[in-house]
Amino acid sequence: MTRWRRIGSTVCGWAAGVSLAGMMLLTVADVTLRAAFNTPVRGVYELVELLLAGTFFLALPAVFLRDEHITVDVIDTLAPRRVPALKRAAEALAVIVLVVMARQGWLAARDAVAFGDITADLGLPRILHWTALLVGVVGAAAGALAMALRRRAGR
Amino acid sequence: MSVTVLGLLGIAGLLALIFARVPIAIALAVSGLVGYAALDGWPRALTMFGLVPYQMASAYSLSVIPLFILMGAVASRANMASELFQASNAVFSGIRGALANAAIGACALFGAICGSSIATAATFSRVAIPEMRRHGYDPAFAAGAVASAGTLDVLIPPSVLLAIYAIAAEQSLPKLYAAAFVPGFVLAGLYVLVVFSVAWARPGWIPRVAAMPLRARLRAATGMWKLGVLFFFAVVGIYLGWFSPTEAAAVAAFAAIVIAFATGAMGWRGLVDALLETVYTTAAILFIVIGAFIFSRFVVLTRFPNDLVSWVQSAGLSPGWVMMAVIALYFLLGTFLDEVSTILITVPVTLPLVTGIGFDGIWLGIFVTVMCTIGLISPPTGMTVFVIQAQHPEIPVARIYLGTLPFLAADFVLVALLIAVPGLALWLPAYLRM
Repeated sequence: MTRWRRIGSTVCGWAAGVSLAGMMLLTVADVTLRAAFNTPVRGVYELVELLLAGTFFLALPAVFLRDEHITVDVIDTLAPRRVPALKRAAEALAVIVLVVMARQGWLAARDAVAFGDITADLGLPRILHWTALLVGVVGAAAGALAMALRRRAGR
Repeated sequence: MSVTVLGLLGIAGLLALIFARVPIAIALAVSGLVGYAALDGWPRALTMFGLVPYQMASAYSLSVIPLFILMGAVASRANMASELFQASNAVFSGIRGALANAAIGACALFGAICGSSIATAATFSRVAIPEMRRHGYDPAFAAGAVASAGTLDVLIPPSVLLAIYAIAAEQSLPKLYAAAFVPGFVLAGLYVLVVFSVAWARPGWIPRVAAMPLRARLRAATGMWKLGVLFFFAVVGIYLGWFSPTEAAAVAAFAAIVIAFATGAMGWRGLVDALLETVYTTAAILFIVIGAFIFSRFVVLTRFPNDLVSWVQSAGLSPGWVMMAVIALYFLLGTFLDEVSTILITVPVTLPLVTGIGFDGIWLGIFVTVMCTIGLISPPTGMTVFVIQAQHPEIPVARIYLGTLPFLAADFVLVALLIAVPGLALWLPAYLRM
């Protein structure tokens, strides 16, 4: 793996890993406080949902940079010479899908801000969830584009 | 063009993209978006496309997936597998096939905690296969036993695959875990019977190994305590009413980290690696979950599952024939698709079909999961077989497949048992009044 891919995926992995550790510790704290003092953490569901969005979306660009998608590679043995072109085409398709997803996410996020969407219990602005989504999806699109260009250059 | 034909075209397009090496998540999202647009117009399709990732990736019920994966990633790094193998060996010590049965028992227990067939097979191929070969076991049989036993994790609770099915099929996860208990341990028992049968038919493949002294057996058996603690938090805690599935997963992951640090089996570097491995795996899986939900929105719009159920009812097909077709479908998909994708792609269609002929949604979860264990060791893409071959390149793939054949027969025996006696899966949830 080249240096920039390693750095990119590690940064994404660390950010997502912090989210995951937070999700675990928060839930353990909630269970412990509930059992020991009958005082659960308020709004733990909403916080876990936000941290889950962080865990997933912040790690998504790393999946592209590390080329760790789940794919069916039967074609590799049937037509090995076509594999590089197919990989490039798949990455180009991924870029299009992610750009469309990001655009639609942006429009929905704008609505969430305009309507002042907040969570029911803690009153967290929903834009926090949308921010994780947009950062992850745009990052994944950039990662997919970089991988497609890298393959095109024969690296 | 009729809606049903559009539905079939969408499924054909999805399979074409998957075979063209497009990542499964992207293939699902593209087919779902285009199909939805063809039926309901682009504006609505694009709105759906923007909202599904948000709704899915911040759904509380999905948080169980990364937390169980984290528990498994920590357990894999904390030397729990080899201690469990020694403990399991102590239980079976002295009987012919003890090492193979120890591998099966250890894989069943470790796999339940680890949650990944590939990780389980990879771990035990390093721990168990060299030990079996050192004692004169046939290499193909030793590799086949570990490849097959590695698949038990998808069935024995807490299983990540069952959590994914619960989300896709909107079924209760505690109920699914309860339903999986008996079939999971029946399958492990069938594998043990396979070892005894092969030992009887081909004693040269499985030499008798000298029994361990009682003191050594007792000492080795205590090695199970770590997995016992994790299993208690991850599964028993749910049924005692202490935790929800997400809470159980969080507490068990935390307990795994505490045990690993307290026993000196893992340091900070190991914890960081486990966290990174977990988030990368989670992102790959949840991306498929999002793609599958986009695709399922399209499938629901086509009413294809309802049409299929109506067609089956009007054609007067017996439930037996329908189930034969479903088995053929899963067997075929299992030969080239991974188990997560298999479940997410098929459940929107097979759930209404199978419940329409009188089976239960919980039962289907267990049935589908057993079919996935078959896919993991079936040629040409049995993943656990490849994992073992990568670590033991001197054993040819074809010979490992040969070694898995008796265990594959055991899998099909369980499939037949599940169809003939659905209570095998449904008895425990009913007994627990779930």
